[in-house]
Amino acid sequence: MKRKFFIAFNVIAVVILASGFNYGFQQDPKPWPEPDKNAKTANPIKSDAESLKTGKEIWTKHCQSCHGKMGKGDGSKAAQLKTVLSDFSSSEVQNQTDGALFYKSSEGRDDMPSFKKKIPDADELWSVVNYMRTFKK
Amino acid sequence: MLVLLFWVASSYGQVTGDSGAVDTEKPTPVKAKPVKNTFESIWIIDNATVMVPVKGTFEMDIMHRFGTLETGYEDFYGFFAPSNIRLGFDYVPVSNLMVGLSIAKANMTWEGFAKYSIFKQTKGKSPVSVTYFGSMGVDTRTADNFYHNSDRYTFFNQILIARKINDKLSIQVAPSVSHINVVNGYFKTSGSVADSTYQTTVEGEMKHNHFALAISARYKLRPSMAFLMSYDQPLTKHPTNNPNPNFSLGIEFNTSSHAFQLFVTNYYYIIPQRNNMFNTNNFATIKSFNDITLYPQNWLIGFNITRLWNW
Repeated sequence: MKRKFFIAFNVIAVVILASGFNYGFQQDPKPWPEPDKNAKTANPIKSDAESLKTGKEIWTKHCQSCHGKMGKGDGSKAAQLKTVLSDFSSSEVQNQTDGALFYKSSEGRDDMPSFKKKIPDADELWSVVNYMRTFKK
Repeated sequence: MLVLLFWVASSYGQVTGDSGAVDTEKPTPVKAKPVKNTFESIWIIDNATVMVPVKGTFEMDIMHRFGTLETGYEDFYGFFAPSNIRLGFDYVPVSNLMVGLSIAKANMTWEGFAKYSIFKQTKGKSPVSVTYFGSMGVDTRTADNFYHNSDRYTFFNQILIARKINDKLSIQVAPSVSHINVVNGYFKTSGSVADSTYQTTVEGEMKHNHFALAISARYKLRPSMAFLMSYDQPLTKHPTNNPNPNFSLGIEFNTSSHAFQLFVTNYYYIIPQRNNMFNTNNFATIKSFNDITLYPQNWLIGFNITRLWNW
């Protein structure tokens, strides 16, 4: 009886520890393909001073805490997320179309929240995309 | 010719594929849009702001007022004194309209309120944003506190007029009228017994309606941090018990879903009609610019926390 209890206890302990380790590590981001139609959508907002100012304001309020001030994925909340955040200054992100970045910002996935309800004005979200372009190395 | 036109039209907006850029001319939007973020919370210390969040926003408010600084260390500057707390829930069911329900500890007052954005500051259209704010409070203490059930009700109506002066500074002016269904009374006698003109009438210590003017300002120190100021001036003169003006100073921190305000104020009740009609905390006596006596013992520390969700 004691032996069975000992084995059960150890199995449960291993499962708990294993699940703890599983949650303890951040995962690399999974591929995030955007629909072709969204990727080809043109950015209707010119990347001028006004748009970049709007984009920066929104970035500071809604994005910076995770993605970091310069989009490096080093915001104060980044370490709490399940996914390692992409570096927005990298070619991997900068080579994506404006439409793709807009789609991902709007729809969200996993740790990334959807912003289409919080920022219902699409022009503002396009301005955020314009601001993301300023991170390019 | 038609084929050529079709080819030109269909090639307009074609993706080139290099570094994510899209080979289209980006038109500049011509339609002026309302100014954003005149304020970043629906409250500025003890007053509502012109802000009505986007449709579908659900918000929870926690508002807390500690005791006054009067007794100093004895109650740790009001922290351990009896406090007032308000817990509120707000929702924006349609664009520009917010409705809410709350309960405050002071007099166990339930409050239902509505805020409607009449128009917003827009370049070339309107120099200011104007919003209506109205609330009804119900004192839910036990029945032995009232003669009539209607004595429980209080009302507040306010027009909020605000302008975002520049990226840092926003100012709001807000005239209001508070109505309270019942006020304390006293017996007033006149005439004389000798000539049979003696009579006794019951007069109210205060009027039922009270007009006031609130002036509030926000100055952004950093993108997510701002300095707040508010001043409330009573306008109605009551026979007795005239309320004192209120002066508040505070600081606000904003995140994507939260606004946190920490401040000193004279207002304790949180519910606007009670604040405006019954404020006994006098922040200062001002005889002239050179003769100002401050009363820090009448100030109290408070905070507002709002958390919003977009559904």
